Amino acid sequence: MLLELSEEHREHLSFLPKVDYAVVAEFGRIALEFLRRGSNPKIYEGAARKLNVSSNTVQHGVEGLTYLLTESSKLMISELDFQDSVLVLGFNEDLNKLLLQLYLDNRKEIRRILSELAPVFPSYHNLEWRLDVQLASRCLRQQIKPALTLKLHLSQDGEHSSQVLQTDPATLLHLIQQLEQALGEMKTNHCRRIVRNIK
Amino acid sequence: MELSEYVQRGCQMLADPGCFDLAAFALVLRAAFRSLLEARADEAVLDHPDLKHIDPLVLKHSHAALATCILEAGKQKADKSTLSACLEDCKFDRERIELFCTEYQKNKNSLEILLGSIGRCPLLISDVSWRLEYQIKTNQLHKLYRPSYLVTLNVEDSRSHPDISFNCTMEQLQDLVGKLKDAAKSLERATQM
Repeated sequence: MLLELSEEHREHLSFLPKVDYAVVAEFGRIALEFLRRGSNPKIYEGAARKLNVSSNTVQHGVEGLTYLLTESSKLMISELDFQDSVLVLGFNEDLNKLLLQLYLDNRKEIRRILSELAPVFPSYHNLEWRLDVQLASRCLRQQIKPALTLKLHLSQDGEHSSQVLQTDPATLLHLIQQLEQALGEMKTNHCRRIVRNIK
Repeated sequence: MELSEYVQRGCQMLADPGCFDLAAFALVLRAAFRSLLEARADEAVLDHPDLKHIDPLVLKHSHAALATCILEAGKQKADKSTLSACLEDCKFDRERIELFCTEYQKNKNSLEILLGSIGRCPLLISDVSWRLEYQIKTNQLHKLYRPSYLVTLNVEDSRSHPDISFNCTMEQLQDLVGKLKDAAKSLERATQM
């Protein structure tokens, strides 16, 4: 699968061959940094002064590079497809190699960042448990009531929350049985067939 | 088993044959158990024709005293000898003690369940539902190709607390099940001690 680069995108990237490779590498670093923490326009101005161009040009260069990297990572295109895709830009071989290296080095992290954008429920983070036996209460003395107290930690959008729950032995065994069935389901012929065929 | 003066006085009235004959006593006794244990107890439990001749104030007082006595016995898990001693102190004769103990024995388990259910505890998990899906792509990310589980823990009293839903990967679900199994093993070991 090849990337489709729009006219505008190509124009933005056309700034890259006009600067040193070290600057392109630096742009790549900035692009990654912006993906991690959000953009910071001040950096464009500083770089523009050093390179003696307008800050708009720098911004377009970095954004063009960012888009190139995120699109390729999103589609998870192969090394060969990436090389063929950037060929249309007409850059020299060394620059193409540099872009490929940027892509391969950062693909994993970019995919991780992109995966955070998907709509999600809170996700499981951790579970702590404690085994209790209730011995008495205000209303009833001499009890022997086993209970499992659970602290379920969930995370959503990078924030953790926790919830204290309790269950009795019979329900605990039922929960384990149900969830083991859930895990086992992935090994059934039906699921394996689907997984094999979706590629 | 300690009863307050008010309760003792109420019980003493029940012990008095001039106030309650044995049949009337049995009626009040059953009414007391019913009003404690039946969720929708008849409000007119004391409106029995055989109780018409008894002063309503006395009837109400003795009913309340008997109910308190039953609750106290249930709370302390009183055995028959403790119960008899206590009722003897309230001047109950042998027949009435026997009647009380029989009725108490009959309702003991329900009484214990009722008393055990009073009080606070963390949210109780009653069941779990799950859904398995295979994630293919999002608008931001293609070629995801990973299984994902949606787990919903159903809780008791779901009117005031919504069920708890969360996503987990296969590894996370394995982690969760592993920890629950550890807990179950510890529970099993504890019961064998």
